[in-house]
Amino acid sequence: MDLFVMIVTSFLMFAVGLIGVLAKRNTIILFLCVELMLNSANLLFVTFAWQWGNQIGLLWVFFVLIVAAAEAAVGLAIIINLFRARQVVDVDQFNLLRG
Amino acid sequence: MNQVEIQIGKYKQMVPIPYNPMLWFLAGLAFVAALGVILYRKPVHACLSFLLTLLSLAGIYLQLSAEFIAIMQVLVYAGAILVIFMFVIILFQDAHEQLRLFKAQSTSRLLYAAGAVLVLTILSFAGQIKSFSGEPASLPPDFGAVEPIGKALYVDFFFPFEAVILLFLVAIIGALYMGKKEKI
Amino acid sequence: MDIEQWIWLALFAPLVSFLTILATSSVISRRLVHLLACSSVFISFCCFLFFLYHSGGGGNPPLRATLFDWIATDAVHASFTVYIDALAIVMGLNITGVGFLIHVYSMGYMEHDEDYARYFGCMNFFIFSMLLLVLAANLPLLFVGWEGVGLASYLLIGYYYNREAAAAAATKAFVVNRIGDVGLLVGILLTFFLFQTADISEVLSKASTQMAVGAPALMLLTLLYFIGAVGKSAQIPLHVWLPDAMEGPTPVSALIHAATMVTAGVYLVVRMHPLYLMAPSTMHFVGAVGGTTALFAALCAVGQNDLKRVLAYSTVSQLGLMFLACGVAAFYAAIFHLVTHAFMKGLLFLAAGNVVHMMHGTTNMEKMGGLHQKFYLTHILFFVGVIAMSGIPPLAAFFSKDLILEEEFLAGAETLFAVGLIASILTAFYLTRAYCLTFWGESHIESKIAKVIREAPRVMLIPVCLLAVLATVGGFLGFSLDGPPPLERFLAHADITFNSKELGTGFHWTLETWLSTLGALVGIGSAAYVYLQIHEHEKQPEILTEAFYFDPFYESAFIAPLRALSKWIVGFWEPTVIDGSIYLAAHSASGGASWLQRMQSGQIRSYAAWLTIGLCLTLFYFMT
Repeated sequence: MDLFVMIVTSFLMFAVGLIGVLAKRNTIILFLCVELMLNSANLLFVTFAWQWGNQIGLLWVFFVLIVAAAEAAVGLAIIINLFRARQVVDVDQFNLLRG
Repeated sequence: MNQVEIQIGKYKQMVPIPYNPMLWFLAGLAFVAALGVILYRKPVHACLSFLLTLLSLAGIYLQLSAEFIAIMQVLVYAGAILVIFMFVIILFQDAHEQLRLFKAQSTSRLLYAAGAVLVLTILSFAGQIKSFSGEPASLPPDFGAVEPIGKALYVDFFFPFEAVILLFLVAIIGALYMGKKEKI
Repeated sequence: MDIEQWIWLALFAPLVSFLTILATSSVISRRLVHLLACSSVFISFCCFLFFLYHSGGGGNPPLRATLFDWIATDAVHASFTVYIDALAIVMGLNITGVGFLIHVYSMGYMEHDEDYARYFGCMNFFIFSMLLLVLAANLPLLFVGWEGVGLASYLLIGYYYNREAAAAAATKAFVVNRIGDVGLLVGILLTFFLFQTADISEVLSKASTQMAVGAPALMLLTLLYFIGAVGKSAQIPLHVWLPDAMEGPTPVSALIHAATMVTAGVYLVVRMHPLYLMAPSTMHFVGAVGGTTALFAALCAVGQNDLKRVLAYSTVSQLGLMFLACGVAAFYAAIFHLVTHAFMKGLLFLAAGNVVHMMHGTTNMEKMGGLHQKFYLTHILFFVGVIAMSGIPPLAAFFSKDLILEEEFLAGAETLFAVGLIASILTAFYLTRAYCLTFWGESHIESKIAKVIREAPRVMLIPVCLLAVLATVGGFLGFSLDGPPPLERFLAHADITFNSKELGTGFHWTLETWLSTLGALVGIGSAAYVYLQIHEHEKQPEILTEAFYFDPFYESAFIAPLRALSKWIVGFWEPTVIDGSIYLAAHSASGGASWLQRMQSGQIRSYAAWLTIGLCLTLFYFMT
């Protein structure tokens, strides 16, 4: 029963994160929602590590954590540069790649 | 393993229950805080709601006997990543107000459609996983402790460990370089 | 000189002259142009005289010479081969002789025209094409000549290209000819299919051995040849081009539309006569068409007010008589009448040309009258032509037309005989009418023209006189007191002879002879009476003047729908369907592209949405 709750929570958090990516226009909040999705994946890893008693799942979480940190740093640097170029945080205004 | 104290008359006894109420509470809290991230209008509030999510996730990890991961979560995520986010939000605090001036450019129909499809998928998967059997395995005594994880990292998984460290180094240098002002 | 060189000289002299005139027309003087043109035709004529001598009265075998292999595939093959037998010699003499006289005549007629070289060049080209036609040994080469004379006719009818009527007439002639040419071309292909060859001698010999009399294939083949002949020789229903072709200069009308080109159809039928003998129903059909045309055209000629048009319908009528002769297998009679008709019609046309030229292009008889004093010699010559054509003995048509009627009678074709007789009477009638209206009676000439009228110059009179002489004595080619006449003896070597054998015994006065002579006198007398004594310019019935409304009928039945169709195509079909389908291809490509372009909006959230949808669908696919 706990397993089911954990899995459902993970799914719901992922859905919330994805809907946030689709719905929010503030670039920083959009990025925050991406982190939320990463966290939901982490939760799933830990849940199944606990379910099957396999510690490798926890190791995976460790790596995800590191990579998330690196990604957050670089992503925010990019966002800062975007802001310097466009003076807005609206993600819809960054559409130079349109064809 | 989960026990709850029940009282029948004057007789108190610890009775095992198959589920963990603390876990459920923390899960619910995490979900509500996640909702708060996307629902709050002010970015600072959203960020704080995210903090609450992270902390409740840390609590969940503790409940699931993953102590090292819980501490890592607090230290790295809540302590570093969230702080960077907060700094950037505060840096752009004037810009957040201007968001109201712009019109949304993406067609909302597509976004609603994507959201609906997503929700449908989630629901259908949730329906399928109901049949998972529930008993967790018996955990070794040092499950989630620092020592076995450290051992695994430095002995069995040394190469991925070093690789991810390198990645981190490169990311930091890149972020530093990109964050600089143009003149320098 | 080798005999083969004579052949090529005869054939190519006019062509060389044509090319030379074409190349040097701007630098050459007028005198040199007509000298070159006339002398080349004269050289051809002399060559044909030589062939006549060489053939020894027909005793020597026919000549055959090949220049090069032209088409060399298995199914269709032809070489540039000429074949000179008695028939070819007769036709060649006819073409070059009459052609030479008309070339000389043209020197005077076209004197005031500035495009001198073009005229003579086209005339020489015509002579060459016609010679190619009659000398060809195989059908494809004949077809080349056939088309060549059609082209020359177009060029010469439309000689006065500034006049819209002339240009329209030239186009009409070419198009109507083309309709007949389809029949001939299909016939040639059918010949290849049936006999694996189109060489005329081989076809004729194979046909007699391989096919049965009355075989459907032969009937179809001869019918197809006849369709070509109908187009070229202006029989019903393809006769409409000949009256309009009078827009060209008068010598052109004399040469092409009286003496030579229109006889190509008769030549074709006579040349292939063994096939026609083996296909009796087609032959009867030929006779029927000829008879109908003869009668119809004679009626129309009665109602015309234009001098040249009378002569044009007269030509159609006489050609009908020639086909009438072919209809009862009287092929010699047809050729004989062809030759005499060339003399007589050429005479009539050139005499009329004298009048027309001196009156500055007037051809409407309502504007003439009483010209016998001014045109003293011409009117006598015209009268000679009239009586020659009517069949008064001993002038030319007496022998030739009478022969046709006798053949009809002896072959038992009573209705055709009656038709021919009526046509002959009408011929006398309308020719005399034309003569009277032009040269006698009250003068209706415009005053300013009346001052400058005088007799034609010598260069125009001498050829007419020569033709008058030929018209007078030419009949004696087919006359003999005892035994077959000289022309027939000559043509018999080409297997062209009488149908009824008793005609080969010499000339006799028979019932038919009396009937035709009396008919001619009746015709002349009544016309003279009507037009000299009683009525001068009686209005002819409308139906005759309008030639039984053939032209308006064609216009409304064929031309107007085609015109409407082409308008519809240009207005609707082409822009909407054809251009539209191209636009559809282009626009659908670009439309599809621009629809797809909407996916590349540059919006991150839209991309994320598509990602989500794709992700969920993939998950669904793998989970179920």
